[in-house]
Amino acid sequence: MERRILRVLLCKGTMDAHDRGVRYLATKLREAGMEVIFINFLEPSEIVDAAIQEDVDVVGVSSSVEGHLPVARELTRRLAAQGRADVLVLFGGVIPERDFPAMRELGVEGVFGPGSTADSVIAFVRERARAVRPRFA
Amino acid sequence: MSSNPSPHGGKAPVDCALTREFLEQSRALEREWRAAYDRLAQKFGVDPASHVRRTDSGLPVKPAYFAHDVPASACLESPGRHPFTRGLYAAQYQFMPWANQPVIGYGLPEETRRRMDYLQSQGMTGYFGNTFYNLVYDLVSHEGLDPDHPAAEGRVGQCGMAVYSREDNARLFDGLPLDRINVVHISYYENLPVLAHYLAYARRRGIAWDRLGGNSMSWYYQSAYVGMTCFPPRAGMDLAAELIAFCTKRMPRWNTLNLFGYGMEEAGSTAVQEVAFTVAAGIDYARGCIAKGLDPDVFLGRFGFQISQANDFFEEICKIRALRRIWARQCHALGARDPRSQHVRIHTHTSGAVLTAQQPLNNIVRTTLHALGAALAGVQAMEVSTFDEALAIPTEQSATMALRIQQIIQDESGITRVADALGGSYYVEALTAQIEAAALEILAEVEKRGGYHRCHDYIRAQIEASALRWRDQVDAKERIVVGVNKYVTDEAQDVEVFRVDPASERTAIERVRALRANRDRARWEAAMADVHRATERFKAGEVGGLLPAMVEASDADATTGELMAVLKEHLGWAPPH
Repeated sequence: MERRILRVLLCKGTMDAHDRGVRYLATKLREAGMEVIFINFLEPSEIVDAAIQEDVDVVGVSSSVEGHLPVARELTRRLAAQGRADVLVLFGGVIPERDFPAMRELGVEGVFGPGSTADSVIAFVRERARAVRPRFA
Repeated sequence: MSSNPSPHGGKAPVDCALTREFLEQSRALEREWRAAYDRLAQKFGVDPASHVRRTDSGLPVKPAYFAHDVPASACLESPGRHPFTRGLYAAQYQFMPWANQPVIGYGLPEETRRRMDYLQSQGMTGYFGNTFYNLVYDLVSHEGLDPDHPAAEGRVGQCGMAVYSREDNARLFDGLPLDRINVVHISYYENLPVLAHYLAYARRRGIAWDRLGGNSMSWYYQSAYVGMTCFPPRAGMDLAAELIAFCTKRMPRWNTLNLFGYGMEEAGSTAVQEVAFTVAAGIDYARGCIAKGLDPDVFLGRFGFQISQANDFFEEICKIRALRRIWARQCHALGARDPRSQHVRIHTHTSGAVLTAQQPLNNIVRTTLHALGAALAGVQAMEVSTFDEALAIPTEQSATMALRIQQIIQDESGITRVADALGGSYYVEALTAQIEAAALEILAEVEKRGGYHRCHDYIRAQIEASALRWRDQVDAKERIVVGVNKYVTDEAQDVEVFRVDPASERTAIERVRALRANRDRARWEAAMADVHRATERFKAGEVGGLLPAMVEASDADATTGELMAVLKEHLGWAPPH
């Protein structure tokens, strides 16, 4: 049983444009009973500000056109600096497999490439959200 | 039977072939066929009364069509004649096929130029033997930034070329005969700065602006369905009118507005919605121009369309036929009388959204079908998506393969022999009319809400609902995607995935910094102050002064990011939803 409703911040870089998938995911997470906040961001600091203000359990970043590594680096660094290394960070979209290890190393626990289903994201979030220990330093 | 009065002759078409007796025979044939069909359906355990198949847009279709399904008015249409359902020109592809217009753009301008030269060497051909370059700017430029902005990290030269100044235009175009090529500048809301750089560059080359051929996109209306930060709807319309007014006077060969149905269908819209919203955007912007005193017969001929060609083979063809018919009539209603002002000049972009990362080589088959459909629909130019579309920017090999698809259809299939080869097909004519009716219903809804720029939220919601339905159908296997929900294998197809050289980003940053350090600071400051003043006057309703001020600033080495910062400051810049 979940203690309370999971809060998820979904984000799309404003430059990235290809937001069909992430907006679909937002609908599916809501249908699964989660509270979803959707934002466009220019810089990763905006994600962190929203994550803290909205007190979310999960941050999901959609990336379709590269630039995911710098965003992941800034995002996890700033979350940790603000004492929110407990937040589950996910990335999805067109992310080359060669970058998966680097993403995980940065503290991104879930990377959902092409072909991933909304159900797999929902299951992952339910299983992993709300860590008791920091996920990244 | 419906019969629409022809705006040219004023006379209603006569049911020449379709006499009463003929129609009765045709209906009798359908009854006979239906009985046979129903028996077969029952053999398959299907209730024929409730069994209805639908197009991808959700329009119900019959399992077979008959002569009486063709609207009489459709029997009296001709290629090159209003309302242009059967094509814009009497000769269609007889003397000149469609233009090859693959999208090119990645990394530094020199890298993009190498790909341009390579594809040109591979037979990429525009009209009258000239070369068309369909060039896409990078994401940083689209956002109106320069490459040294912190948010640009990892995105410079991605999804487009890193071109931010007049100097970058020189790196891209030096040596090319600007007055004999056609250049499409694929830019989003940085439309004016991009054209300003090109004009400043052309002037330094000594080439008169009225000899330049090409395209600005003026895609501001896309903020209804694309998530990028944008100008407010009204400001977007005015910025488009600014460029249109300028080009109407100074650049008669320049195409000023691109109606981007492709982006709508990629965002999830159905074919019917694509037709309706594209027309709605076009007439709304046309009205904006008319309100500023422009003559529709002068500017409408320079509007173009970029239309998607996706999976539903016949619906995608009929969509284009219906679009041509609707647009011609709408433009006529706006007061346009020149046939060219009623033309839907179409650049097809075969769908990227329906291509798959799984079993990527299958995409060659999909895009071939898309390109064939576009050719049968009689479009003017084409970009065929590459098979690695869902993976990365195209490699040289995949880009060449996509060009070959066009060339094989043009030179080997024989379909260029006859204009509108599908015209008169019972199904094609009936479906064309069905799409037309469905699109006109949506168009009426948009009009009721006050026109396109006043109902971005409605449009976004409609397109998103379609995107959701599409994905739900894929998940439920009601819609088959080979390699994704059927015929799935674990075997990976090993294809080369293109990667932009990471050094390009560093070079682009060094270049823009050097540009700022070396320019005549006083001259740049004066030019930027002029841009500020011109923007204020533009905001107050002045037409035609903003672009010239930007050209002077570009000549003084202002960058895209700097010019966009002025527009953002004065006009507003925020997420669209």
